[in-house]
Amino acid sequence: MGHDFIPARRRILTAAAGTAVLGTGRFVRAQANDFKIGFFIALSGPASLFGPTQRACADLAAEKINKAGGVMGRPVKLIFTDAGGAPAETAKSAVRLMLEDKVDLFIGSHDSATREANIATIKAKTPYIYSPVYEGGECSPNVYCLGETPPQQAQPATEFLAKEKGAKTFYLIGDDYVWPRKSNEQIKKYVAQYGGKVVGEEYVPFGAPNKFEEAVTRIKGAKPDAVIATLVGADNVNFNRAFAGFGLDKSIARVSMLLEENTLMGVGAESSANLYSCMGYFANSPSEVGKAFKAEYLAKYGAKAPQLATIGADCYSALNLAKAMFDKAGSADAKKLTAASEGLAFDTASAHVTMRGRQVDKDMYLASCKGTEFEVFKTIKAVKSGTACKV
Amino acid sequence: MEPVLVAQALNALFGIASLAIVALGLAVVLGLLGVLNLAHGELVMVGAYCAWVAQQNGWPYLTAVPLALVVCGILGYAVERWLVRPLYQRPFDTLVVTWGLSLLLRKCAEAIFGLGYKSLSEPIGGTVDVLGATYPRFRLVLIGVSAVVLGGLVLWYAKSRTGTRIKAMAGNPDLARALGIPVARYASATFIVGTCLAGLAGVLIAPLVPVQPFMGLDHVLMSFFVLVVGGLGSVGGLLTGSAVIGGTNSVVSALSDSTGGYFAVLALAIVFLWLRPRGIHART
Repeated sequence: MGHDFIPARRRILTAAAGTAVLGTGRFVRAQANDFKIGFFIALSGPASLFGPTQRACADLAAEKINKAGGVMGRPVKLIFTDAGGAPAETAKSAVRLMLEDKVDLFIGSHDSATREANIATIKAKTPYIYSPVYEGGECSPNVYCLGETPPQQAQPATEFLAKEKGAKTFYLIGDDYVWPRKSNEQIKKYVAQYGGKVVGEEYVPFGAPNKFEEAVTRIKGAKPDAVIATLVGADNVNFNRAFAGFGLDKSIARVSMLLEENTLMGVGAESSANLYSCMGYFANSPSEVGKAFKAEYLAKYGAKAPQLATIGADCYSALNLAKAMFDKAGSADAKKLTAASEGLAFDTASAHVTMRGRQVDKDMYLASCKGTEFEVFKTIKAVKSGTACKV
Repeated sequence: MEPVLVAQALNALFGIASLAIVALGLAVVLGLLGVLNLAHGELVMVGAYCAWVAQQNGWPYLTAVPLALVVCGILGYAVERWLVRPLYQRPFDTLVVTWGLSLLLRKCAEAIFGLGYKSLSEPIGGTVDVLGATYPRFRLVLIGVSAVVLGGLVLWYAKSRTGTRIKAMAGNPDLARALGIPVARYASATFIVGTCLAGLAGVLIAPLVPVQPFMGLDHVLMSFFVLVVGGLGSVGGLLTGSAVIGGTNSVVSALSDSTGGYFAVLALAIVFLWLRPRGIHART
C-alpha cells in the first residue's frame, strides 16, 4: 500500500492499541538454524482489515517453502510484526528484530511512509522485500519491490477507456499524496497519447473526513466521458457511492486504481455499475497460477478463509521471491542478492514473473465490477514497471 | 438558475443537515452535562451497524430506528450510570473514560462484525429533479428528517416542563436538587437522549458511507468543530455551528476543491478558539 490506509490522525488514536500488539511475534522461539523473516503486516488500525489475509497467505507460502526444503536449506520462520501504527513505531520494531531476533530478511506489506521509515532504520544491513502496490521509484540498496507501479496501472486503464469505451475527455480525482499524483502524471501522458483531454483534476485531503457531493456535482458539470479515481480506502467507497447516488454511473465510465475485493464490498452492488479496476491481482484472476494459488488457499483455510485480495496475496508472492532469490544467491550478502535478483524468475500469486532492476514486470488485469465481484475481461502481459534500479 | 448551482446549494444544505444531526447528541451531552463524550462517534457507528443488521435480516429500513434507539439507549444508561456519573465535574477524567469507551466499542464492533466495509443499499433510492438539478432522493430525505428532529427538539426543550427542569439542572445542579428536581435521573435521561441521537444519526448516514468500526472518527471530528464555533448549550448554537462549518466546507469545496474546504474549516476553528473561545452562542 503505497496508499496509506491509516491516515496520520488515526495513527495517533490507534498508536496505543498498536503498541499493545507490537509484541505479538516475540514469543515465537526460533531455532538457531531457522531462516528468520521479520514480516510487517497490519495487526492494528484500519489497515488491519487486511491482516488476516496477509497472515494466511504468508503462512501458506511458508508451509510450501518448508515442505520444499526451506530457504537455502533452512526452515523458514515468520515473525509477524505490526506495521499498522505510526511509521516510527514500526521502525523501532525493525531495530528489535535486527538486534534481538537477528532476522535474515524483512518483508513488508504496508504503506510507503512506513517503508521509508524502515529503510532509514535498516540501512540496507538486512534485505527488505516491499510487496504491495505502490508509487514506484524505490531504489534504495538491498530493497526489492514487488508491487504494481503507476505506469503498469495507468497504461492499460487509459487505453481501455480511450479505445474500448471511446472516452475523449477524462476527469481525474485522487487523494492528495504521492501515489495518486504520480499515477496521474502517467495517466495524463497516456491520455494525451490516445488523443484525449483531461477536463478536470482534483485531490481531496488525505486522512480528512471527506465527503464527495461537491466533487461529484463538479464532475457532472465538467461532463467527462470517463473518470479515473486514485482514491483509497473509505474515500474510494464514499466517492463511488456518491457518484452512483447522483446517477452519474449510467453515463460515465469509472476506473478506480486501487479497487480491490474489500473496497468493492464497501462500494456495494448498487453503486458498482460501469466501474472498472486495473490491478496485478484479483481473487478471480483467470491465470492458471492464480487459480492454483486460490485453490491451495481455500484448501488450507476452507470456506471461512479471509477474503483474498491484492494486499495479502502480495505476502505470498514476497515469500516466493525470497526463496528464489536467496537460493540463487546462496548467501545473504547484499551484492550477491542484488545480482541474483536480476532476471530472476518466480511465481507471484497470479503469474510467472521476472524481476528486473529490483522491480517486477507484471501481468495486469482489467476487471469490471459485477455487483460486488470482479470479472476479469482482459490480461495485459508483462507490463513494464517503469522503474529500473541499479543492480 | 443553473442546475449546477442548484445542486451545489443543495449540497451545502445537505452538508449542514448531516453535520447537525451527527453533532446533535454530542451537543446535548456536552452542553447540558458538561461531559465531552469522545465515544460519540462510536455510538454513531453502533447506530449504523444496527441499520446494517436490520437490512441484512431483510427488515424494513425503519425498524433500524427503534433497534438503534434501544441499543444506544441501553449503552447510554450503562455508561452514564457506571462510568460517567462518578466523574461529573471532573472533565478531564470523563474525557479519558469516554476515550477508553470509544476504543472498547470499536474493538467490540471489530469482534462482532469484522473490519471489512459493509455497504447498505439506500432505502429510498434514485434521484429527483429539483429546479432542473438531479439530486439523490435519500439525501433530500436526510435533510428533511434532520430538520424535523432538530425542530422537534427545540420545541420540546423550549416548551415542556421537563425542558425547563433540565435547564435548571444544567444551570445549577445543587439548587435544582434543593428544589426537588431529581437531578441524577434527569442527568441519566439527558445522557441517554444524547446516545440515542447518536444512534439515530448512525441509522440516517449508514446508507451513504462505508460502515466499519473506524467510521466514528470521521464523523466526530467535524462535530467538535461545530461545537467550537457554535458554542455550547443551545440548539441555536448547534445550528449556527453546523451552518458555519458545514456551509463553509461545502461552499469552499464547491468553489475550489475539498482541500480548500477542509482548510477553511480548520482555519475557522482556529480563529474561533483564538478570538471567541466560547463560540457564537455561548450560554452565560
